[in-house]
Order: sequence, then C-alpha cells, then structure tokens
Amino acid sequence: MKRLPIHRKTPVRVALALMAALSVGQSLAVTRGGQMIYGRYADSLFLDPVLNDANLDIWILTNLYDTLLQPTDDGKSVRPGLASAFVLSADGKTMRLTMRPGIKFADGSAITSGDVKWSLDRARNPDNGAWNNLLDSIASVAASGNTVTLTLKHPDPSLPAALATFNSAIMSQKLFNAAPGANDAAKAKAFAEKPIGSGPFMVSDWKRGSYMVLKRNPYYWKKGEDGKALPYLDTLRFEIIPDDNTRILKLQAGEIQGAEFIPLSRVAELKANSKLNMQLFPSTKVNDIIMNNRPKLKDGTANPLSDVRVRQAMNYAVNRDALIQLVTFGTGKPMKSFMSSSTPLFDASQKGYGYDPAKAKALLSAAGFKNGIDVSSMATSGSADDLALLTALQQMWGAVGIRLKIEQLDTATKTARYRANDFQMRTGAWTDDIADPSEITGYYAVAGATEAAHTGFKNDTIEKLFVQSQQETSRVKRTGLYRQIQTIYTNAAPTVYLFETPYPVALLKNVKGFIQIPLGNNIFERTSLEK
Amino acid sequence: MNTAYVVRRLLQIIPLFLAVMVLIFTLVHLIPGDPVSTLLGDRATDEIVDRANRELGLDKPLIVQFGLFVVQLLHGNLGESINLKVPVLRLIGERLPVTLFLTVYAAFIGILLAVPLAVLAAVKRNTWVDALIRGFFQFGLSLPVFYLGLQLLTLLGARLGLFPIGGYGDTIPEHFSHLFLPALTLGLNLAAVLLRTLRSSVIEVLTAEYVEFARAKGLRTRVVMTRHVLRNALISTVTLLGLNIGALIGGAVITETVFAIPGVGRLMVDAIFSRDYPVVQGLTLVFAVLVALVFLVTDLLHARLDPRAEVA
Repeated sequence: MKRLPIHRKTPVRVALALMAALSVGQSLAVTRGGQMIYGRYADSLFLDPVLNDANLDIWILTNLYDTLLQPTDDGKSVRPGLASAFVLSADGKTMRLTMRPGIKFADGSAITSGDVKWSLDRARNPDNGAWNNLLDSIASVAASGNTVTLTLKHPDPSLPAALATFNSAIMSQKLFNAAPGANDAAKAKAFAEKPIGSGPFMVSDWKRGSYMVLKRNPYYWKKGEDGKALPYLDTLRFEIIPDDNTRILKLQAGEIQGAEFIPLSRVAELKANSKLNMQLFPSTKVNDIIMNNRPKLKDGTANPLSDVRVRQAMNYAVNRDALIQLVTFGTGKPMKSFMSSSTPLFDASQKGYGYDPAKAKALLSAAGFKNGIDVSSMATSGSADDLALLTALQQMWGAVGIRLKIEQLDTATKTARYRANDFQMRTGAWTDDIADPSEITGYYAVAGATEAAHTGFKNDTIEKLFVQSQQETSRVKRTGLYRQIQTIYTNAAPTVYLFETPYPVALLKNVKGFIQIPLGNNIFERTSLEK
Repeated sequence: MNTAYVVRRLLQIIPLFLAVMVLIFTLVHLIPGDPVSTLLGDRATDEIVDRANRELGLDKPLIVQFGLFVVQLLHGNLGESINLKVPVLRLIGERLPVTLFLTVYAAFIGILLAVPLAVLAAVKRNTWVDALIRGFFQFGLSLPVFYLGLQLLTLLGARLGLFPIGGYGDTIPEHFSHLFLPALTLGLNLAAVLLRTLRSSVIEVLTAEYVEFARAKGLRTRVVMTRHVLRNALISTVTLLGLNIGALIGGAVITETVFAIPGVGRLMVDAIFSRDYPVVQGLTLVFAVLVALVFLVTDLLHARLDPRAEVA
C-alpha cells in the first residue's frame, strides 16, 4: 500500500483526533432534563424529617432535604454535605462544622448556621419524634457565621453518621415557623404537605395514594459532571402501584422508568429482559427469626427456647443455602452476625452457623429434649414470603424434632403481641437507618428499653462492651469491641440467623445514575434519562 | 314520586347513622393492635408509644374518646388520619369520587353487557347461543377478580397497548381511559350476576299472557320487548343491581390494588390493617349513608317499574 507523505498525513491525523475527542466528549456528556416516573409500592405518609416514622418517608427524604454530612454510596462512612468540613477536638467533646458558602433552600433563601442550630435542636428534642436518641450526645449547638459548634456530653463515634441521617436534615426555621399551626406538631403537618427543603428536589404536587411529583431545586449546591447544578432531571414523579405484577407490567410497557421492590421470584426473568436493567443494590437488610429467650412465655408455660443449647440447635438445623434458593431465589446470602455485612464494623471473621442437623439433635438431647420440642412462630398473614420461609423452616426443624406451628396474624396484631412479649418466635427483618452499628446493636443485643428486640436476652459483657463502644473514638479499638459483641451474641443465639437480601430495583436501560444505598435511601440527584 | 316516602326514608338514615357510629367505634377499638404501635413499629420504645398515645388522646377512657368523636361529628369533622396526619374528610373527598366513578362506570358496562345478552339468551333459550352466553359468564364469574384484572392488564394494556396500565389519570378523558379495564373487570363480574336473574325473568315474562296479548295486538317485537318484557323482567334485577352497587362502593379493594386506583376501598383496607381509627370510622359512616341512598334509589326505581310495589 502506498503511504501518504507526512505533510499529507497531518490533516488526517488532526481530523481523526478531533473525531475521537468528540465521541469521548459525547459519551461523557450527561443528558439533562426530562421527567422520570418511578413506581413505588406505597405512598409516603408524613414528610417531616424529625417526626416521620416509616421507611416510606425516610427513603425519599434525602431528595428533599440535605444533611450536614452525607452517607457514602457504600453506606459505610460519611462525606461532606452542607458542611464542607468538620473537625473534632482532641478530647472528642467538641465538633466544629464549616458550612459551605452560598447554599440556599429551594425558595432561594440562604441556609444559615442559625437554620442548622434550629434544625438540630428540633431533631434532638426528646419530645419530638422517635429518632432524637441518635443525637443524644449533643449537649448544645452554637451557631456563628458559617460555623456550627456542637458541644458533646461525651465523645461519640456515631455522631458523624448521625449528622448524615434523615432526622438531622437542615430545614428553614423561618419557613417552618411561618407555616400555620399553634405548635411544632401542627406546623410540621402543614409544612410537610409541600416542604421547602435543602435537597435536590422539592414537592410540586402530591395526590395521596396516587402520585407525588418532585421538581428540581434550582438553587441546589451540588454540581454534576458537566459543572452545572444538580439534579439532572427536571421532574421526578412517583406513581403509587401497590401490586407487584402491575408495577412490573407498567415498567415493561415503558409507562414508568423504574420500579422498586421487585419480587425476588421475578428477578431472573427481568434480568433476562434486554430492555431492563435489573439491579440488586447491596443493603443492610437482614431477615431472622426472633426468639423469646425468657424461661416462661406470657401464658405461663415453660419455654424451651430459654436454653441456649436449644437456640443453637435451632440455628444448626437451618440449611441456609437451601433457604436462600427457595425464598430469595438465590439473591440472598447467609447471615453471619446479627448485623448485615454492609453495616460498618461488621466482623468479616464471624462464621455464623453452618448446617449441621446431627449437632442440632445432639444439642437438643443435651438440653433434655431428646423427643424434640413444640414451638410456634407468628407470621404476617397475607405475606407469601413469611409463609414460604416458615414452611421451609418447618420442614428443616421437623427433621431434628422441632415441631413448628405457624400462627398467621395481621401486622397490627402481630406488633401488639410482640411489644407485649406475648410470642414465642416471630419473623423479623431489619434495615439500618444510620451508617453506624450502634443502632442495630442497641436494638438487638442490648437489654435497654426494647429488651434486646423483645427477646429478653441480656448479657452483662455485651452491655459493658456496648457502653464502651459508644464513647470509643478509635476506629481500631471500636472494631475490636464490636468483634467481641458479635462473637458473644452469635454464641448466645438469641435469634435464628437466616439471610441478607438486596434491594431489588428494575430500571429501563436509558436510566443512568440511580442508586439505592445500603441504608435504603433512594438517591435521584444524579439520575438522568439517556436519549 | 312519593315525596313523603322519600323524606321518611332519608330521615331513617339518622338512626342508621347513629347505630353504625356506636357499632363501628366499639368494634374498631375491640380488635387487637393499636394505631400507634402499628405506625411506630417494633423498634419504638414504650415511652415513645405512650407519648404518641397521649398526644392523640388515645390514652383517655373509651367513653371519653367516644364523646369527643361525637362532638367532632356534630361539627362535621371526621377527625384526622393517625397515619397520614390529614383530615379524614379531605381523604374521603379525594378518594370517594374515584371509587364512585369506577362504580358507575362498572355498573354501566355491566348493564350494557347483561341486558342485551340476557334477552338474547332468553329468546334463544336452550340453543347453542344460550349455552355460549351462559357458559362465558359462568366462566367469568368463577375467575377471581385479581386474576381477571391482571389478564386484562397484560393483554389489553401491556401486549396490545390499547389502554393504560392502571392508575387514574389527571383529566376526565384520562379517567375514562385509565378506568376502562378495571370497570370492565368489575362489569364482567356484575354482568355475570345480573345475567342469570334477568334471563330467568325474561323467560318468565315472555310466556306471560299480557305479552301474548301485546303480540296479538300487532305491536312490533322491539316495542313488545322494551315496553312489556324488559320493563317487567328488570324488576328483580334492579334490586340485585342495587345490592351489588352497594357492595362495590366499599368492596372494590382488590381491583383498586391491581389497577393502582386511589379509591376508598384501598384506603379502608389500609386503615383497617394499620388501625387508623378515624379513617375506619369516618369511611364506615360515609359508606353507611351511601349504601342507604343506593337502596333508596333502588326502591324508587323498583316502584317506578312496578306500580304495584307500594312506597307509602
């Protein structure tokens, strides 16, 4: 082949280089604008960061309100949010946060350190909501210029995570107080109808039970890949579609661009659909069986589950791999600890319980139950998942002499009986609300106000270790404390470890940048619709 | 129309209202579980639950709570939803029109299907036409509503793209379009129920002497069918229709769930499961009044069709 002389190659090379640069630029350019329609299984109830009670609210509040710090995408740490930096004093009892300059609420008014002080004081008020304990360690909040100073009662290693949690959202004191109502609760109700927040979106329309429309906050501080303000979307519409099949049908027909809570039985089918992107986001969700560890049940009968050997037997008799195939259709993984593997300070060296029916029988025999035991478990009526799970466990436990009776109850009755400790076992599930292990540990492993998830379990060593861990600022030492807590808890087996499951979300292929973090928050700020 | 009768029937709604008020308040507080624990869930401490109960007045003796409920009602206030923290009247105002739209739409489709097909089946009784019509509706009646609804959604919505998949839409034309499939689901069910009775009534009336006489007079078949046969055959069917419409108003929850329709059926079931007392109480009272009105209209229609039926 005849080669071009060098002076003739140059324009060709330049043209080729230009074409390459253009195509790279195009692939990097994010498409802005448009409306994304996302199918939710149920509507939000109450959009107040402090007074809300449900994941239905929590998981979308981050789209309306920003916090001083924000959870990282892997849910294990925090990064700057409305505060660009924070510094802890040497004794760990003072935290100084520096606010970003020029940040605004969705109505264009400035976010001031005064708003921060008011928001945090409101969130930590013991009379407000169910989440104030997350900010328990704060003694006082002082605001001056662009600095917020938190004085703590004691060093608190969970505080950065707490400042990244939904109830620490920064709200406008002026706008909230201008809402009609004689007190905080009344104002919160009025304000929550159409909140003006500090997040990437704001509510523009809400027809309860039908849809909610969020429009972009034109004053949002974060920048996208193109250097312009986020979010990329103009509007985000949540359609409420309670039936799983209908939600999937609408997605397949292209009437919606995303759908949450895809049944795990349909994951494989949607993965095979070339028009869809079936995502399994890592979560902090754990599924277990909560056992009443008390010597007697509420009706006075003796409780065999009070013997640790029986509880260990219950664990050894479970074939988790089979259960994961049967109930989660292969999407889950075995629990090794009471907390998920996505929870910070989860101890990866934990072995959990393997499947060993012979050992289960031996333990039952050693505990004096050679002929087996009769136990019962509450299940949520109408829940196909609960029924599938307990039916499988009934078979597995039956093989070692544990005869399970399943009691199907509606949620309200089940909750009432559980809170009154009137149960022997029940199906349980948990997701973390904060990127710190203290929440789940405080609930499951510590006696406290909820009696270790109402099991009645109490271990003095764990109690001591937990108190220590709540003030231990060295990550290495704190990791060690949590390793011990997890080991002791596993050996004591107050619950039956089952499996962890991901968050199953299906999206159309042109949806980019959506993420559901392990805490469950649905993050739409970087979501775009490719053309 | 007998005005005195109508006024008397309307006044009878008052004692019904009072009876339902007492009954529903008692029943809803008797079932296990409470709204605050259910809302706050497993993790809330007793202290938080107790505080919430105090704020909502749920810690007061039942008789005091009932008194407050009655006083509120007298002021036209149905209270506030514990879960949603909005006035119950507002929730009902938003959702009831949706359910009523669906109910009327379903009734219209049901009647449109049942009447001509019942007449055809009666006229062609014991032929393959009769067997086909009856068989089709028998089969339809045996299908669970959620299954039928899902199949219609899949075929007519997803595969053929003829109708939107669920929802309610934002404009009136969109409401008609979005609600066609759920109305068809309910209408098919309703038509199956009406068809049996109407077919039997038409067969009975076709052999009546006055119909023979009408034919003998030389009246056209269409006139005989509409003025004499249908008018008389519809009498018992109207009562059945009234009963079914009454049931549809509060009972279309499965259809509302499958088709993602924000109606009162779903609202009621969610409220019962979450023990949202004000919503359950408020909705039950509204249902009681609506059903009483439906029965009144049914009786008046019955009297219109059959002057022998006294409405004195």
